[in-house]
Amino acid sequence: MSDAEVEEGGTLASAVNADRLATLGMLMAGIAHEINTPLGALASNHDVVKRSLTRLHDILADDVVDEQELQEVRKIVRALKGTLRVNDLAVERVLALVGSLRRFGSPDRAEVDRVGVEEGFDTALTLLRHRMGTGVEVRLDLEELPPIECFPVEINQLFMNLLLNAVQAIQGHGDGTGVITVRGRRCGDGVLVEIQDTGPGIAPKLQERIFEPGFTTRDGRVGMGLGLLISRQIVDRHGGSIQVRSVPGEGATFSVFLPSSLPTDAGTP
Amino acid sequence: MPSKQSTPSVVVVDDEEMVAGALRTFLELETPYDIRDFTSPREALDALGRRPADVIIADFMMPELDGVELLREVRSSWPRTSRILLTGYADIQNAIRAINEAGLYYYLQKPWDNEHLKLVVRNGVERSTLVNELDARITALENVNQELLEARERLIRMFL
Repeated sequence: MSDAEVEEGGTLASAVNADRLATLGMLMAGIAHEINTPLGALASNHDVVKRSLTRLHDILADDVVDEQELQEVRKIVRALKGTLRVNDLAVERVLALVGSLRRFGSPDRAEVDRVGVEEGFDTALTLLRHRMGTGVEVRLDLEELPPIECFPVEINQLFMNLLLNAVQAIQGHGDGTGVITVRGRRCGDGVLVEIQDTGPGIAPKLQERIFEPGFTTRDGRVGMGLGLLISRQIVDRHGGSIQVRSVPGEGATFSVFLPSSLPTDAGTP
Repeated sequence: MPSKQSTPSVVVVDDEEMVAGALRTFLELETPYDIRDFTSPREALDALGRRPADVIIADFMMPELDGVELLREVRSSWPRTSRILLTGYADIQNAIRAINEAGLYYYLQKPWDNEHLKLVVRNGVERSTLVNELDARITALENVNQELLEARERLIRMFL
């Protein structure tokens, strides 16, 4: 990263922070909706439990359980079993969302740590689920990858930016549906990750400019044009490299190489 | 105990297993109907082919087939099934599309109220039962009418 870039965007840490907050702001309505789905299921189940208790109470009121009431009890037990299965799914979903929000938003993740890049994808994909809707399919093709020494909050932001970029490319093109393929391979002393989308692709003369400050094809909305610039700066700081390959009309592929150890001059964020 | 065939049937379709499961659990506890739940719209259509339903409740946002497309197919194959759309999106455009294209019986919003849901499903079953009975009576009347016409023909032939 050149001094000029530092001047333009402030420190990388504050740029990543601003980018993260912008991303969260944009995704917040969708995340609220994602929490609403398990909440709706849990609310319905809570109602089922209350109704079941009232019925059991009525059955036991006279201390006698006749054959018909026994049938009723069996029905109530089936319903309560049904609520358990749904509650498991709902609680699991909320925990995953909250875990992703903490990983994505928590400042303690700004410390250096050794983590797998899968964490970054899991986090980003969980938060992007609603944004992707039913039209964007994600295919994961990840080898077992060694953990890398990194600033996890930055790596999470990096993958969020690249995935969001792919989602926007697909949704703004044709019928708005397509596929994102994420590949991860060991590569020498590090990992190579590729994110491929089936969007419109990028014209050759623009491919060199997309990592520049302020470059955007999305009407220059605040916080949108900086994603790829910040992504490159994050990769630079981790001693890695980022490239894009694209044939217009056939989508784009972003390749990121990250070494297993941080360069000695990576410093603190 | 009524036979499986005569018990009214309700089909629930939501790609979120937790939603389909919650709806099924509640309806099984609170109604006497036969409840089937599906997370795939295609599987729901296959199941309807094997045994039609009195009521279908479909989520709006689903992969492979959205709720309106699913209910449109249900309308063309089983017009007597009462069609309910359940949606998390208060979207007037989709509501209009659903009413016009799928001949919607009811438009329910998530999160749903169980008591209201029960009422809507019960009315949907009643509507479907009444339509079935009406159809049966029309068919019976048509048969009687046909017999009368034939009797008239025979009488005319006897006297001419």
